[in-house]
Amino acid sequence: MITFNRSQLIGAEFVGEDTIRFNGIQEDHIYGMEVRMDVCLKDATIQSVSGNMKRYTNDVCPQAVPVLQTAVGLSLREEGWDAKVMREIGRKGCEHFAEIIIECGRCLNQALASRDLWEAICQDPTLDQQQFLDDRGATS
Amino acid sequence: MTIKFFRNKVVEVEPLSSTELEVSWRLTDDLLKLEVSLKVQIPEMEILEADASVGRFPPKNCRDAAEKIKMVEGVSIGGGLRKIVRGILGGEDGCSLLVDAVLESANAVILHFTRPGIQILESLTDPQQKLDGLQAMLKSNPKLVRSCISFQDDSPIMKGLNL
Repeated sequence: MITFNRSQLIGAEFVGEDTIRFNGIQEDHIYGMEVRMDVCLKDATIQSVSGNMKRYTNDVCPQAVPVLQTAVGLSLREEGWDAKVMREIGRKGCEHFAEIIIECGRCLNQALASRDLWEAICQDPTLDQQQFLDDRGATS
Repeated sequence: MTIKFFRNKVVEVEPLSSTELEVSWRLTDDLLKLEVSLKVQIPEMEILEADASVGRFPPKNCRDAAEKIKMVEGVSIGGGLRKIVRGILGGEDGCSLLVDAVLESANAVILHFTRPGIQILESLTDPQQKLDGLQAMLKSNPKLVRSCISFQDDSPIMKGLNL
């Protein structure tokens, strides 16, 4: 039987012209957490973040929720942004919140490429999708 | 509002015998599809076999994932793993998706071993017994100290511990 399972779901929606909103869920046999974060498309900075701790292992864990706010202002284009999230949100707060934020951040370029490919296919259903992604550097 | 992008990642640990675990890691999103499978010998925690398959639009450096992943065979899950895996699979010509896959798989193996202890703690109803159990866990695994808010120096769980 499966003795440990972790699932992460990340959804991205575009809110107006300037913002991408990520909803991240992480569920496993031990922990259950959710994060919502808005990211400015212009400079990839995290504009707002909120989190919900659904299942955790001790009474101190929920004190990590306010620590999430230290992510506000961080740019997902900054060198070492993911290590910074793990250090500031993970170690000083909750590692699992940090894991969700990092996965959301990793999805930024993919979400932009996905949106652009969708729009391009709408214009030209015969489009060579691999070529489109290679040309825009999405697969490099 | 419809979403414009959706990613689904799953990692599963399944004991095959008393000496072997299988870890299955899968990522699927609008653009990517990647699967990694590891066989891990226990208690040595050595990766005996590693396989990968890619679909959809893999990044250029990940198109040979099936060959690249073989380089982690023989690597042990333990101290320094992050550095070792990044050295083997990462870098300019590396595949960062494979780095993530192996490290997340290794983390899942550790959580597979952590789960029973957490379930024992959950079954305790006396708060002092629970605290004693958490402190015993920290003493036996000092890497957890200052790893999160619960185990920072000012946490009530750390009170009285000189770790």
